[in-house]
Amino acid sequence: MRHFLVMTLFAFLVAAVFGIVAKDNLRERLLYGIKVFAEFMIIGLALAWILYFIPF
Amino acid sequence: MHKEKLKEKDPDEAPARAWAMGAAGWFFPGAGHLLQGHWARALILGGAVWICFVCGLLMGGHMFSVGGEEQGLSALLQIPPMIANLGSGLLYMASWFFGVGFADDPQSAARATYEYGTTFLLIAGLLNYLVMLDAFDISAERKS
Repeated sequence: MRHFLVMTLFAFLVAAVFGIVAKDNLRERLLYGIKVFAEFMIIGLALAWILYFIPF
Repeated sequence: MHKEKLKEKDPDEAPARAWAMGAAGWFFPGAGHLLQGHWARALILGGAVWICFVCGLLMGGHMFSVGGEEQGLSALLQIPPMIANLGSGLLYMASWFFGVGFADDPQSAARATYEYGTTFLLIAGLLNYLVMLDAFDISAERKS
Protein backbone atom coordinates (compact mmCIF):
# COMPACT_ATOMS: atom_id res chain seq x y z
CA MET A 1 0.00 0.00 0.00
CA ARG A 2 2.82 2.37 0.87
CA HIS A 3 4.37 1.86 -2.56
CA PHE A 4 1.12 2.82 -4.25
CA LEU A 5 0.77 5.96 -2.12
CA VAL A 6 4.33 7.00 -2.90
CA MET A 7 3.70 6.51 -6.60
CA THR A 8 0.48 8.52 -6.34
CA LEU A 9 2.27 11.37 -4.54
CA PHE A 10 5.03 11.34 -7.15
CA ALA A 11 2.54 11.39 -10.04
CA PHE A 12 0.53 14.20 -8.41
CA LEU A 13 3.53 16.47 -7.80
CA VAL A 14 5.02 15.97 -11.25
CA ALA A 15 1.62 16.38 -12.95
CA ALA A 16 1.02 19.64 -11.07
CA VAL A 17 4.34 21.11 -12.24
CA PHE A 18 4.01 19.79 -15.83
CA GLY A 19 0.45 21.11 -16.10
CA ILE A 20 1.32 24.63 -14.96
CA VAL A 21 4.59 24.93 -16.87
CA ALA A 22 3.40 23.45 -20.17
CA LYS A 23 0.05 25.15 -20.76
CA ASP A 24 -1.25 28.71 -20.83
CA ASN A 25 -4.74 28.79 -19.36
CA LEU A 26 -6.42 27.19 -16.37
CA ARG A 27 -8.57 24.72 -18.31
CA GLU A 28 -5.67 23.45 -20.43
CA ARG A 29 -3.46 23.20 -17.36
CA LEU A 30 -6.03 21.20 -15.47
CA LEU A 31 -6.70 18.84 -18.37
CA TYR A 32 -3.00 18.32 -19.10
CA GLY A 33 -2.24 17.81 -15.40
CA ILE A 34 -4.97 15.16 -15.13
CA LYS A 35 -3.72 13.50 -18.32
CA VAL A 36 -0.12 13.34 -17.05
CA PHE A 37 -1.29 12.05 -13.67
CA ALA A 38 -3.42 9.34 -15.30
CA GLU A 39 -0.56 8.33 -17.60
CA PHE A 40 1.85 7.96 -14.70
CA MET A 41 -0.62 5.88 -12.72
CA ILE A 42 -1.75 3.63 -15.57
CA ILE A 43 1.76 2.99 -16.92
CA GLY A 44 3.09 2.49 -13.37
CA LEU A 45 0.41 -0.10 -12.54
CA ALA A 46 0.81 -1.83 -15.91
CA LEU A 47 4.58 -2.12 -15.44
CA ALA A 48 4.10 -3.37 -11.88
CA TRP A 49 1.83 -6.20 -13.08
CA ILE A 50 4.19 -7.11 -15.94
CA LEU A 51 7.14 -7.25 -13.55
CA TYR A 52 5.07 -9.28 -11.06
CA PHE A 53 4.82 -12.16 -13.54
CA ILE A 54 8.48 -12.10 -14.54
CA PRO A 55 10.20 -14.75 -12.39
CA PHE A 56 13.54 -13.00 -11.79
CA MET B 1 -3.76 39.04 -29.34
CA HIS B 2 -1.65 38.61 -26.23
CA LYS B 3 0.09 35.53 -27.67
CA GLU B 4 0.94 37.44 -30.86
CA LYS B 5 2.45 40.19 -28.76
CA LEU B 6 4.55 37.64 -26.87
CA LYS B 7 5.80 36.07 -30.10
CA GLU B 8 7.01 39.44 -31.43
CA LYS B 9 9.80 39.46 -28.83
CA ASP B 10 13.25 38.44 -30.02
CA PRO B 11 13.88 35.09 -28.34
CA ASP B 12 17.59 35.83 -28.01
CA GLU B 13 16.96 38.98 -26.03
CA ALA B 14 16.52 38.37 -22.31
CA PRO B 15 16.76 41.21 -19.81
CA ALA B 16 19.06 40.95 -16.80
CA ARG B 17 15.92 40.82 -14.65
CA ALA B 18 14.93 37.52 -16.27
CA TRP B 19 18.31 35.99 -15.39
CA ALA B 20 17.92 37.27 -11.83
CA MET B 21 14.45 35.72 -11.58
CA GLY B 22 15.78 32.44 -12.92
CA ALA B 23 18.64 32.49 -10.44
CA ALA B 24 16.27 33.32 -7.57
CA GLY B 25 13.98 30.49 -8.65
CA TRP B 26 16.87 28.04 -8.70
CA PHE B 27 18.28 29.19 -5.36
CA PHE B 28 14.98 29.17 -3.46
CA PRO B 29 12.28 27.06 -5.12
CA GLY B 30 9.24 29.25 -5.83
CA ALA B 31 11.06 32.57 -5.31
CA GLY B 32 11.28 33.33 -9.04
CA HIS B 33 7.49 33.43 -9.33
CA LEU B 34 6.97 34.98 -5.91
CA LEU B 35 9.16 37.99 -6.76
CA GLN B 36 7.11 38.56 -9.91
CA GLY B 37 3.84 38.52 -7.98
CA HIS B 38 2.62 35.14 -9.24
CA TRP B 39 1.60 33.95 -5.78
CA ALA B 40 -0.55 31.00 -6.75
CA ARG B 41 1.98 29.66 -9.22
CA ALA B 42 4.80 30.15 -6.71
CA LEU B 43 2.83 28.27 -4.08
CA ILE B 44 1.99 25.31 -6.32
CA LEU B 45 5.30 25.02 -8.20
CA GLY B 46 7.56 25.89 -5.27
CA GLY B 47 5.39 23.79 -2.96
CA ALA B 48 5.69 20.77 -5.26
CA VAL B 49 9.50 21.03 -5.22
CA TRP B 50 9.64 21.51 -1.44
CA ILE B 51 7.24 18.63 -0.75
CA CYS B 52 9.16 16.39 -3.14
CA PHE B 53 12.47 17.24 -1.45
CA VAL B 54 11.23 16.91 2.14
CA CYS B 55 9.47 13.62 1.35
CA GLY B 56 12.69 12.37 -0.25
CA LEU B 57 14.65 13.17 2.89
CA LEU B 58 11.99 11.64 5.17
CA MET B 59 12.08 8.46 3.11
CA GLY B 60 15.81 8.22 3.76
CA GLY B 61 16.91 9.15 0.25
CA HIS B 62 20.49 9.75 -0.71
CA MET B 63 21.92 12.79 -2.51
CA PHE B 64 24.94 12.71 -4.76
CA SER B 65 28.11 14.76 -4.63
CA VAL B 66 31.57 14.50 -6.11
CA GLY B 67 33.49 14.17 -2.89
CA GLY B 68 36.73 12.49 -3.79
CA GLU B 69 36.06 9.07 -2.27
CA GLU B 70 35.20 7.63 -5.65
CA GLN B 71 37.73 7.37 -8.40
CA GLY B 72 37.65 6.94 -12.16
CA LEU B 73 34.37 5.90 -13.74
CA SER B 74 32.65 5.72 -10.37
CA ALA B 75 33.35 9.43 -9.80
CA LEU B 76 32.06 10.26 -13.30
CA LEU B 77 28.83 8.36 -12.64
CA GLN B 78 28.16 10.62 -9.65
CA ILE B 79 28.06 13.73 -11.83
CA PRO B 80 24.66 13.38 -13.66
CA PRO B 81 22.65 12.67 -10.48
CA MET B 82 24.58 15.40 -8.68
CA ILE B 83 23.50 17.88 -11.37
CA ALA B 84 19.90 16.73 -10.84
CA ASN B 85 20.24 17.13 -7.06
CA LEU B 86 21.85 20.56 -7.48
CA GLY B 87 18.62 21.78 -9.06
CA SER B 88 17.15 22.02 -5.57
CA GLY B 89 19.42 25.01 -4.92
CA LEU B 90 19.39 26.12 -1.30
CA LEU B 91 17.80 22.87 -0.17
CA TYR B 92 20.73 20.87 -1.56
CA MET B 93 23.31 23.27 -0.14
CA ALA B 94 21.68 23.35 3.30
CA SER B 95 21.51 19.55 3.35
CA TRP B 96 25.17 19.34 2.34
CA PHE B 97 26.12 21.90 5.00
CA PHE B 98 24.25 20.04 7.77
CA GLY B 99 25.24 16.62 6.47
CA VAL B 100 21.65 15.48 5.96
CA GLY B 101 20.91 13.05 3.14
CA PHE B 102 24.52 12.38 2.20
CA ALA B 103 25.12 9.39 4.45
CA ASP B 104 26.24 6.37 2.48
CA ASP B 105 25.78 3.73 5.18
CA PRO B 106 24.13 0.29 4.92
CA GLN B 107 21.46 1.22 7.50
CA SER B 108 20.06 3.97 5.27
CA ALA B 109 20.26 1.81 2.17
CA ALA B 110 18.40 -1.00 3.94
CA ARG B 111 15.27 1.11 4.42
CA ALA B 112 12.33 0.05 2.25
CA THR B 113 11.86 3.60 1.02
CA TYR B 114 15.54 4.34 0.30
CA GLU B 115 15.21 4.11 -3.50
CA TYR B 116 11.96 6.07 -3.48
CA GLY B 117 13.58 8.78 -1.39
CA THR B 118 16.57 9.02 -3.71
CA THR B 119 14.22 9.30 -6.70
CA PHE B 120 12.16 12.00 -4.98
CA LEU B 121 15.32 14.00 -4.25
CA LEU B 122 16.43 13.74 -7.88
CA ILE B 123 12.99 14.70 -9.16
CA ALA B 124 12.79 17.69 -6.79
CA GLY B 125 15.93 19.10 -8.41
CA LEU B 126 14.79 18.38 -11.96
CA LEU B 127 11.36 19.88 -11.32
CA ASN B 128 13.00 22.99 -9.94
CA TYR B 129 14.96 23.40 -13.17
CA LEU B 130 11.59 23.48 -14.99
CA VAL B 131 10.18 25.93 -12.45
CA MET B 132 13.28 28.10 -12.81
CA LEU B 133 12.91 28.18 -16.62
CA ASP B 134 9.22 29.08 -16.24
CA ALA B 135 10.13 32.04 -14.00
CA PHE B 136 12.77 33.09 -16.54
CA ASP B 137 10.31 32.92 -19.45
CA ILE B 138 7.66 34.92 -17.58
CA SER B 139 10.17 37.62 -16.71
CA ALA B 140 11.46 37.72 -20.30
CA GLU B 141 7.79 38.04 -21.43
CA ARG B 142 8.00 34.88 -23.51
CA LYS B 143 4.93 33.52 -21.73
CA SER B 144 2.20 34.89 -19.51
